[in-house]
Amino acid sequence: MRRLLALWEKEYLALSRDVQGLAVLFLMPAAFIVVMSLALSDVFKGGAARQTGFAVMAADPKLAERLAQGLSGDGFRAATVPADEAAAREGVRHGTPSLVLVVPRDFERALAAPLDGKSTPPELAVLADPALPPPQLLAFQQRVLGVVLGLRVSAMMRRAGIPANADALDLKHAATLKVETIGGTGRPSSVQQNVPAWLIFGMFFVVMPISALFIVERREGTLARLVSQQVPFSMLLFGKVGPYFVINLAQAALMLLAGRTLVPWFGGETLALPARWDLLAAVTASTSLAAIGWGLLVAVSSRTLEQATVIGGVGNILAAAVGGIMVPRFVMPDSMQKFSEASPMAWALDGFHAVILRQGGAGDIAAPCAKLLALAAALFAVALWVHHRRRVLTSVQ
Amino acid sequence: MGTLNVEALSFRYPGGGDAALEDVTLAIPAGRIFGLLGPNGAGKTTLISILAGQLRGATGSISVGDEPLEALRRRQPHNLGLVPQEFAFYPMLTCAENLRFFGGVQGLGGTRLKERIAAAAAFARIENVLRRRAGRLSGGLKRRLNLAIGLLTEPEILLLDEPTVGVDPQSRAFLLESIRALAGAGRTIVYTSHYMEEVEAICDRVAIIDHGRVLVSGALSEVIRGGAGLQELFMQLTHSSLRD
Repeated sequence: MRRLLALWEKEYLALSRDVQGLAVLFLMPAAFIVVMSLALSDVFKGGAARQTGFAVMAADPKLAERLAQGLSGDGFRAATVPADEAAAREGVRHGTPSLVLVVPRDFERALAAPLDGKSTPPELAVLADPALPPPQLLAFQQRVLGVVLGLRVSAMMRRAGIPANADALDLKHAATLKVETIGGTGRPSSVQQNVPAWLIFGMFFVVMPISALFIVERREGTLARLVSQQVPFSMLLFGKVGPYFVINLAQAALMLLAGRTLVPWFGGETLALPARWDLLAAVTASTSLAAIGWGLLVAVSSRTLEQATVIGGVGNILAAAVGGIMVPRFVMPDSMQKFSEASPMAWALDGFHAVILRQGGAGDIAAPCAKLLALAAALFAVALWVHHRRRVLTSVQ
Repeated sequence: MGTLNVEALSFRYPGGGDAALEDVTLAIPAGRIFGLLGPNGAGKTTLISILAGQLRGATGSISVGDEPLEALRRRQPHNLGLVPQEFAFYPMLTCAENLRFFGGVQGLGGTRLKERIAAAAAFARIENVLRRRAGRLSGGLKRRLNLAIGLLTEPEILLLDEPTVGVDPQSRAFLLESIRALAGAGRTIVYTSHYMEEVEAICDRVAIIDHGRVLVSGALSEVIRGGAGLQELFMQLTHSSLRD
């Protein structure tokens, strides 16, 4: 135990004097959390948070106003009506407004056509900004059809001698719809996605200081000296696990704090804390061990600092890109979502979301934690095997 | 502690062509300083590394008295000390932190560790720089710290691999005097160097190796008998062509 404590103390002292290494481990994820939480806040809120401007062009100003009223709300707001269709096209090309509904002259007459499936329904055109997210365009289309249906039903009722107000037939007033997501708030908010995501990314970056010091130890002959002092190689590796485990825990605490204080201070949403801290600790610990295992394997396998930087850095970035750290998995196509399940960062993110987002129980984190721990054990074993295969423990010849 | 016997030792680096050591046989008596000489790439450091347990896969045998070195190493893990030619310590740690770490990792602790740090630092005369970062020391002080680390566990066999490289004459004189004192205390010392005058000054026995083979070995007085000196004999045996 005394030898292990000496190794841990050395590792702490070395890391505490590595300013760049500490910056990578603490400042980088904190900066990503703040910047990405703020930058993506509207995207994560869905359509309601984005105010998409639209205009209605109709020959009858009253009809245009009625349609505009019906279409406004839920992230859509009426904008200034362009002078003519050419101006509308030019405006939409520049995104001002993002949408223009063009109502033909004979629209009101077409509304009176019977709803028998034989007559031609009224034709409308929507000019859309190509940069508009497809879900937003689809939502607008649904709103237009809803409003038009209200107008047609109203016209039909009038013909039948039943007094009807078209506004009252708006789909918005058809029923009150309450959506309840089971177990938390459903999809993550920006801060719920970005805090665990960039925390995981930062945790896996322990690969840099672990491999940097290990390669210096090998290059400078320190490792060879320790081996000649009968320090088992497995103990040398374990000597790195303890300190970096504590570093990872500190990262988790500070990144959660950033989500609670720093992000709202810059105007973002406050991170809601999980109900089960023990489960959060379990997910953090499992992620940490997998990250350290990865760091040890890169350290043992790489011959130079450059190799370790490339393997560790590129490996982390790829795992993050695939694993839903950089791009949330729910926006990925199905095939990519399946592929992303291969990334350990995706397992870790599943675990964190189970605790932070879904307020889940032990059963919900069991699978991600088991996968991470199995990976940690495998990486550690491979690191030992790679070392064992080498007869040469030192670079000297 | 008995004689350190190296018998028919051969070693080849993985993927390497020629043998780094071939059929090396040496007898290194206890309480003496044994000078191991050879040009660059001759196999000195390879031999030291095998003795220190850093290289695996050598054939032949190494024993201390009647006991195989591996068995001795398992029984008394800290009885063999190494002072490598690299500055094998942590430049970002202070001298005291380095000594505490290397002592702790060899199982020393508490009062015993403090005593050994004080003794090793005093022996290497680095007491005044214990709080300085090791990476910021002069070359001579770094060599002395390297030596102090090797002495923490008071090993009876000490392997010194070019311990005076890159130091000024004052530090060299101090280091040589210290090594002589260590041998006087009964330690077996294996000393490699390129400086013939150093070897002539402190070694009792020498071996000159080249291309992994022992060219000559024996008591210093016998080896240089009839010759002009160790330098001339060395050049004669290893030829004057440039090495890597």
